[in-house]
Amino acid sequence: MIKFVRQLQFQLFLLPILAIYSLFTIYPLIKSFFLSFTNFDGYTKIYDFVGLKNYARIFVDDAITSAITYTLFFTFGKAILVTILAIPLALILDQKFLTRNIQRAIFFFPSIPSGLLLAYIWGFILAPIGSGILNTVLREVFNMGPQPWLSDPLLAKLSTIVVATWAVTGWHAVLYLAFLQSIPKDYYEAASIDGANRLQQIRFITIPLLAPAMTVSVMLLLTGGLKVFEIPFALTKGGPGYETYSITQVIVQRGISETQYGLASAMSFVFFLIVLTIAIFQVTVMQRREQDLQ
Amino acid sequence: MKKSSFLLLITVLCLSVVLAACSNNSGNSNSNSSNKSNSENTSNESSLSNTAKEDNEAKPVKLSILAWNNEKEMKPVIDGFTEKYPHITFDFQFAPPVTDYIAKLQTMLLSDTAPDIFIIAAENRNEIIDGGYALDLTDEPFMKVMLDSNKPMLSKDGRTYAFTQTGWAGGLFYNKELFQQAGITQLPETWDEFIEACLKLKEAGIIPLYDRMHDITIIHSAMFGSNVLSKDPTFDEKLFKGETTFAEGWTEVLTMWKEGLIDNKILTPDMIGLTSDQVLNEFSLGNVAMFPGGPWNIPTIEQTNPDLQFEIMPIPGKEPGNKYYNGAPGVGFAINSKTKNKDEAMLFLEYMTTHEGLKQFEEGTGGIITVHGYDSTVHPAYEPAYRDGLIAGKIYLPMVSWDRHQEALRNQFLVSIQDIAVNKITPEEATASLDNKLKEMENK
Repeated sequence: MIKFVRQLQFQLFLLPILAIYSLFTIYPLIKSFFLSFTNFDGYTKIYDFVGLKNYARIFVDDAITSAITYTLFFTFGKAILVTILAIPLALILDQKFLTRNIQRAIFFFPSIPSGLLLAYIWGFILAPIGSGILNTVLREVFNMGPQPWLSDPLLAKLSTIVVATWAVTGWHAVLYLAFLQSIPKDYYEAASIDGANRLQQIRFITIPLLAPAMTVSVMLLLTGGLKVFEIPFALTKGGPGYETYSITQVIVQRGISETQYGLASAMSFVFFLIVLTIAIFQVTVMQRREQDLQ
Repeated sequence: MKKSSFLLLITVLCLSVVLAACSNNSGNSNSNSSNKSNSENTSNESSLSNTAKEDNEAKPVKLSILAWNNEKEMKPVIDGFTEKYPHITFDFQFAPPVTDYIAKLQTMLLSDTAPDIFIIAAENRNEIIDGGYALDLTDEPFMKVMLDSNKPMLSKDGRTYAFTQTGWAGGLFYNKELFQQAGITQLPETWDEFIEACLKLKEAGIIPLYDRMHDITIIHSAMFGSNVLSKDPTFDEKLFKGETTFAEGWTEVLTMWKEGLIDNKILTPDMIGLTSDQVLNEFSLGNVAMFPGGPWNIPTIEQTNPDLQFEIMPIPGKEPGNKYYNGAPGVGFAINSKTKNKDEAMLFLEYMTTHEGLKQFEEGTGGIITVHGYDSTVHPAYEPAYRDGLIAGKIYLPMVSWDRHQEALRNQFLVSIQDIAVNKITPEEATASLDNKLKEMENK
């Protein structure tokens, strides 16, 4: 009994945040689920129940098929690129050199401003005409003609991936850095006594012990990538055509601009299920890998 | 001891940041109260006279407005109004046109936090009027000055729900010197002459035209006007009654656009990634001969390059004598049907119809006033559009003329022309997709 009362004291501290979470996350989720069965247009308060019609319409929408392809390409591209770049970066930033703290701050900085702001600025750098910044540099240094960074279907997709990678690599490097600090130095000492060189130490000690960090980092990258909105939107507005439309942009487009709120709610619910599945799958697989490696 | 005082410092700093943010939001009322406290500090007499003045005036009212011109542009008319009615202050909010404004207003309307005065545009007029969000202004005395041709966009079943004092027309701004350099001596009278002029510019090593293709472009609207509407002014009515299709009206226009501009590489896909600021800048610096724009671009062009010789020109049709601009009545100011300050909101709209209100609005926003009894003086570079476009009625904007589902159709249009520009689909496929979209929206 006493134990229960003591437990209750601790649970009470959770009440405020639970209230906020329910109000801002759970309640809209449930309301949205109900709205997905209606033809609510986002304006008038009168709407009818239409059953599963919205769900049927999702899969015949050509914007959605293009968006799913692009979003998956973006997500996996960004996840792979960030992981490949962030781990070596974390290893470098772990070394002792004079400007270490400033370097850490500089690499971390791009993850702080809003993605929208970063994308607008990159939009100037990647401007497709001859007077764009990147094109000017290429012209002066390599004598290359202007490249349509944001208007060619493939280049536009790659540009969005590069900008997104640039924005978050520093943040993930700091995440890995934190986990690196927790690897005991004795392991490295023991390994160097056994005759392992630096590269072998990294391969056999650091990387396996970073497995928990990778689980966290990859999960954040995957879910963040699937939910992306502002970077492709601010860089290319989804163009050319539907080439860089993200799933979230289709939902916003259908729901707000086209006042098909019910359809957009159905789309967002299906999207929620997809992201949930991928996240659960990924965390389970990687946690098993963690245990295997440790 | 050290640790707790450090924590205390942090707490105090956080609280002061929160307080600073709150005081910024309260804006007017805070500055009024700080003015009062300042005058109390200086002398008793002035503080007495301040409070005395406030007691004599009517009860202070705060009108909220969500404008689509920013604070700087609205300043002359708001200052003029608050000078005339000192007891009314403004809670001024702004959202940029078009999509951002519409989304923000929609959120506010749904959550019952909408301001007393807001804007009705062609893109959201159906939703706002059908939803009963705007007051019926038809019988108000100040509505007499509104031009009859400006009323249909903001009306339904003969009742008008917003007041507009402006109209606008957009066309192609062209650089006179670059045209002379390429040997173009007179403005094109037909579409083929227009393409020839573009090719001449290209041969002279000048970039003829930058078009971002991020909307139903000015060129498309004007082409539709000059080629279809000039023969059949009721086309759009028929389209929405189901008596005709997009394929019938727009296929020829899109084919002409593709063959003339895309196939001749006058418009290239890389222009899709440009921002409007970049295009404006390039034109002002003389790097491109033409760009589609409107009167709102003129102040920026002149500021960037005061020596530029430029003028606006219409888009000619296939046959001579059919030159059109794109354009529409300006957006309208509407009063929230749930407002608690109805009389004051009406006073504001009435003020905007007076001569000084019109003048201040024109001065601040650069809009062209189109009401009874007021002659707008327009910039000389813009004269042709004012004369031959606005006054002559040769302006067209699909968003005004399309009865419903404008946003969905506009988005489909924009995606389709970008697909045509990268050679992904044909004009026939583009118009088919528009017809499909209309059918989808009608059946939802």
